[in-house]
Amino acid sequence: MKNPIFDIDNWKEITATLSRNKTRTFLTAFGIFWGTAMLAMLWGGAQGLQDLLRRQFSGFATNTALVHSSPITMPYRGYSKGMWWTVTQSDVNNIRKSVSGIDALTPIATRSTNAAFGSKTVSSRIQGVSSEYPKINEPIIYSGRFINEADEYNDRKVCVIGKRIADELFKGDDPIGKFISMDNIYYRVVGVAGQKSELNINGRLDDMVVVPISMMRRAYNLGNNIDFMLFTAKQGVKPSDLQPKIERILRAAHPIHPDDSQAIRFMDISKEFEMVDNMFTGVDILVLFVGLGSLMAGIIGVGNIMWIIVKERTQEIGIRRAIGAKPRDIIMQILSESVVLTIVAGTAGICFAVLILSAVAHGSADETGEMARFQLTFMNAIYILILFLSLGTAAGIIPAIKAMRIKPIEALNDK
Amino acid sequence: MIHLSDINKTYPGAVPLHVLKGINLDIAKGELVSIMGASGSGKSTLLNILGILDSYDTGEYVLDGTLIRNLSENRAAELRNKLIGFVFQSFNLINYKDALENVALPLFYQGVSRRKRNKLALEQLDRMGLREWSHHLPSELSGGQKQRVAIARSLITKPAIILADEPTGALDSKTSVEVMKIFRQLNDEGMTTVIVTHDPNVGAQTNRIIRISDGIITQQSHA
Repeated sequence: MKNPIFDIDNWKEITATLSRNKTRTFLTAFGIFWGTAMLAMLWGGAQGLQDLLRRQFSGFATNTALVHSSPITMPYRGYSKGMWWTVTQSDVNNIRKSVSGIDALTPIATRSTNAAFGSKTVSSRIQGVSSEYPKINEPIIYSGRFINEADEYNDRKVCVIGKRIADELFKGDDPIGKFISMDNIYYRVVGVAGQKSELNINGRLDDMVVVPISMMRRAYNLGNNIDFMLFTAKQGVKPSDLQPKIERILRAAHPIHPDDSQAIRFMDISKEFEMVDNMFTGVDILVLFVGLGSLMAGIIGVGNIMWIIVKERTQEIGIRRAIGAKPRDIIMQILSESVVLTIVAGTAGICFAVLILSAVAHGSADETGEMARFQLTFMNAIYILILFLSLGTAAGIIPAIKAMRIKPIEALNDK
Repeated sequence: MIHLSDINKTYPGAVPLHVLKGINLDIAKGELVSIMGASGSGKSTLLNILGILDSYDTGEYVLDGTLIRNLSENRAAELRNKLIGFVFQSFNLINYKDALENVALPLFYQGVSRRKRNKLALEQLDRMGLREWSHHLPSELSGGQKQRVAIARSLITKPAIILADEPTGALDSKTSVEVMKIFRQLNDEGMTTVIVTHDPNVGAQTNRIIRISDGIITQQSHA
């Protein structure tokens, strides 16, 4: 027998069967449509949501840790409980030299101040960092450059000003090469920067004036002291893996009791990112569960309807058997009806989901016009297509087998 | 054409029903035969066995040289399609297909192209005087027209035999005469036809009447 797929009468028959009870077909198709749309929207939506969240962290190294001091909680080497100690540049240098797992490291010191240009003054924060800072918290460079090694080494009075500071002090003029003053010290502006990541430590770069840490220590008479240090671990190394070695170095240099676990504060930010990643995995599983559940509900609806259709058409099946339809023909007929219903409704569901995702993606555009990927990838659409094709076939197979098993004479006599 | 030898059929159940008891029957090619009997006599079961719609328990059935026994459902469907044309009391047309599509359907299962099967179907409808009704649904046709569509469908595969189960049972007397006229005409052209009927008038128009009672052939008379 030639392939019925290429026979127009076969398609007319499928259409006729499905359109005979329009309401029932519509409701069944809607179940599939909605199930598929839900799965596709949840899948694409979860992707977009993850994108939105990742955008918050974009630019901030995920394997980062922060180390700062805290009052000692145990008397040690003549120092009493409650005494403050401070992380120093020497600590930073020693750690840089001794801990091979560190990729980038920056000391940080911050003070509140006012930045002035001509007669204009703006409230700001001045932050001293090393040239490795951008590897940890990547800035948006609007113009010029960031602090470099030479600035740091030569204690240059240069600064990178935040976007807001630039806008308020220079009102659209190019600030590069101009001098601003902070606490009576003039700094040459070498760059305008902004915060890329929504995640920030000690405030957003847009609101800061960044100077070399060496200059910061001199300007504010900090001596060797800094506020805290921030570092990223090398690929494959967790920041917490480096904690014992860093603490050993700090304990050796400061009056911290070996058993004092409170004096050194070590905040492994990578753990927060891990939590977010776990949350993403959880969202993925939830999406899969809910989406598949919706799709299954639709498919069960199709199976149910096909069962009813077979029951209603038992006599017709008998007539067909009497005039020469083979069991395979009957199975193909029932299956093709359920598959066509599933394909049409499922494809419509995917198209609907793509439209909705597209609208949400446009709504998620940030100030640069970048949109979160609220979209279904081609491959994911193919996976869903294969999934609902398989399920659509499965939905029709049991009624089809039932139809095939009816004896021709019993089917003919069915009223 | 048809050879039945000691055919027995029992329907299982709490009380098994032995409906055919050692049926022996030969029908030659080109015969127009009627099977008559009271309700429950076994005449429809006999027709169903002849039409390979039902199986028999013991005995031997040879149709056009083919032993009909332990056939797979595929083989049975193939034989039904090629050797047998069915005409039923209630017409058994598919109600959402028009007359042309109904007549062409057996050829669909033979894999005949749409163009060819529609051409052949139209020829059969034309032969039945229904050319202009070819695109009408069964619900738009009279009883006689429906039965003529069913006869056209039974003829389209050029079967070896036509089996008709009470073909005039749902028709008025005038239409019954017309339908029987068609069967006689087909028989004149050499078509082997077996008609199951209650109606003595129908039986009278056949070459041979086989009377069946309680699962046994009780009488055979030639016209």
